Amino acid sequence: MALINGGHLVGKYLKEMENVEIVFGISGGHIESILDGFTQYKIRTIDVRHEQAAAMMAHAWSVYTGKPGVCFLTAGPGFANGLTGIANAYLDNAPLVVLCGRAPLREDLKGALQEMDQIAVVRPITKWAATCYDIRRIPEYLSTAFRQAKEGRPGPVFLELPPDILNIKVDESLAPMPAHFTRKYAVHPDDADLKAAAEIINGAKKPLFLGGSGVGFSGCSDCLRQFLEKTGIPFMLLNYGRGELPDDHPLSVMEMGGLGLIFGIGQADVIVAAGLRFNWILESGKVIPPGVKVVRIDIDPHEIDRNRMADAGLVGDVGSVLGQLTPFVRENDHSEWMNKLKSAGRSTLDHELRMRETASDPIHPARLVAQIQKFVGDDALYVADGGDTSYYGLGFSTRNKAGVIATSSGLFGCLGTGIPFAMAAKLARPDKKVVVLNGDGSFGFNAMEFDTMVRHDIPVVCVINNDCAWGMIKHSQELSIGSDRLQCSEFGVRRYEKMVEGLGGHGEFVTKDEEIIPALKRAFDSGKPACVNVMTDPSVTSPATPLFYQSLNME
Amino acid sequence: MRFSLLLYVLYRLLKRAMKKNKAYHNYVGNIHNVRIMIKTADGKRGRVFIFDRGSISSRGGARHPYDTAIVWKDAKTGFRVMASQSDEAQFEAAAEGAMKLDGMPFFAKWFNDGVKMVM
Repeated sequence: MALINGGHLVGKYLKEMENVEIVFGISGGHIESILDGFTQYKIRTIDVRHEQAAAMMAHAWSVYTGKPGVCFLTAGPGFANGLTGIANAYLDNAPLVVLCGRAPLREDLKGALQEMDQIAVVRPITKWAATCYDIRRIPEYLSTAFRQAKEGRPGPVFLELPPDILNIKVDESLAPMPAHFTRKYAVHPDDADLKAAAEIINGAKKPLFLGGSGVGFSGCSDCLRQFLEKTGIPFMLLNYGRGELPDDHPLSVMEMGGLGLIFGIGQADVIVAAGLRFNWILESGKVIPPGVKVVRIDIDPHEIDRNRMADAGLVGDVGSVLGQLTPFVRENDHSEWMNKLKSAGRSTLDHELRMRETASDPIHPARLVAQIQKFVGDDALYVADGGDTSYYGLGFSTRNKAGVIATSSGLFGCLGTGIPFAMAAKLARPDKKVVVLNGDGSFGFNAMEFDTMVRHDIPVVCVINNDCAWGMIKHSQELSIGSDRLQCSEFGVRRYEKMVEGLGGHGEFVTKDEEIIPALKRAFDSGKPACVNVMTDPSVTSPATPLFYQSLNME
Repeated sequence: MRFSLLLYVLYRLLKRAMKKNKAYHNYVGNIHNVRIMIKTADGKRGRVFIFDRGSISSRGGARHPYDTAIVWKDAKTGFRVMASQSDEAQFEAAAEGAMKLDGMPFFAKWFNDGVKMVM
């Protein structure tokens, strides 16, 4: 008879059934036997300095690897600290598996340490949440958790594991691993729907393809390339779909930028939207004029007609649907239309393009991005975090999957995600250079994770676009309440790079254009986690700010 | 000349709409000191529209400070495209490089969407 405790059962399941290599979290008394289970089954742990970073790293791990990310939280405050990261994963549809301790069941209602109804709190921001009450059912519950996280539209799941089942032993034969722990399945549209969509696409004169996170989670580069190259449709990939095909693909109109996109959508006659929600960024679909035909592809049937009735709706995994749709579409050439899109985009971005090419004092954020790109190149992973900073960070170009992510521009608008995402990016793809462009405001949320980077040797380079303010909020306040009444939106000059040096990383302070590239070179050459603190023009307002301001105009 | 006149007429229409058109008034809202310039590339003709706390004012000329400028290749093109009130004509002008945006481009969209409400 071989006995195993509950914590080791968790480790055994993760390693043997899900091939989990790495988990993210902070230690705690309630989950001690799980931690020992990680040791027992040789699962790498990244222990962070705040649980929200753990949840964000696990979320990011799923983005960069295509596999669910796992984080562990201890009970009470550990749980509460993780909520921001869980909520962010929920609104981003990321397959995050959260394992959480709790107060002992047998102490319920007695005022036990960290006793609270965690399930009630977390249920609205998870796809599935449960407590396991029986050590013998730990593998079964874990199996359910992973299935729920990744099947259909992905999302975060939460499994609460009390010490009553973690800190006891059971005969292994009574807690068997599930025989069929996962199953790959796909939902397919029927031929009539495919033909209806193909008919619209074949008749289009000015089509535009927009791919969102569903493209990224589908991992459908090949199907996407075949579909686009056959139809000749110009495309733009957004959110976690970015980089599924390189930005410099001949059909990519990535260079149009955000406003160019809105401009272009208004002139298209067919929009093919795949794995992309019509949310506030697209004015909840209003940005698409009534006469434009819309073909939507989404794994969630509820998205097909959300905010805009689709002329053809194809439910299923994006890659799978494109694979089925491609035989029905005709070869076509839309290069004249595509060139118009690109040149119209250039006209709307004229000012920004000039700023990128021109040394400025103080440094313009667009120029900072251009200089980083010049030094680092497009074979890198870029993360942008902030308000205005996210807008400028989207100006990076990439040829890698998920190569440019503006983490805080998701639906949750969650500042502070940049550093955890960059850390996960470096762990997932250690051969790539990883740069996070951080606003000075958003830097503050997870800046202590430089300690985590140093301890775990995760050499990310963080460039701070330091405008001494919550820039987007400050500039929005200038529009809404006036520049003479700014409130809680300014910081002043802070030497964040010195804090990083104190934690064992490399620091650089930059105030002049000509200092940017040498500082980046020294940062990368150091081989350490590095912070390049760049003072930028505090008067620059990104185009995203008035968009944000206008979205809150309730009159 | 026609271009300058068109800009002046546009100003009068927007000013009237701020008083009479509730939807437009609400759309503009309480925005503080936003300056939209429409001008020719040579800087010879232009007009700035200033939106400030529920009011609109304007000044002729292309040399005033602005947050966003809609810059036309020449007055003739500017007049033709603006008078057409056609999104497609604007797009074509942008695609041909006959219309460019300077400064914060979103405000140009904001301004144009407002004009559509008035027309």
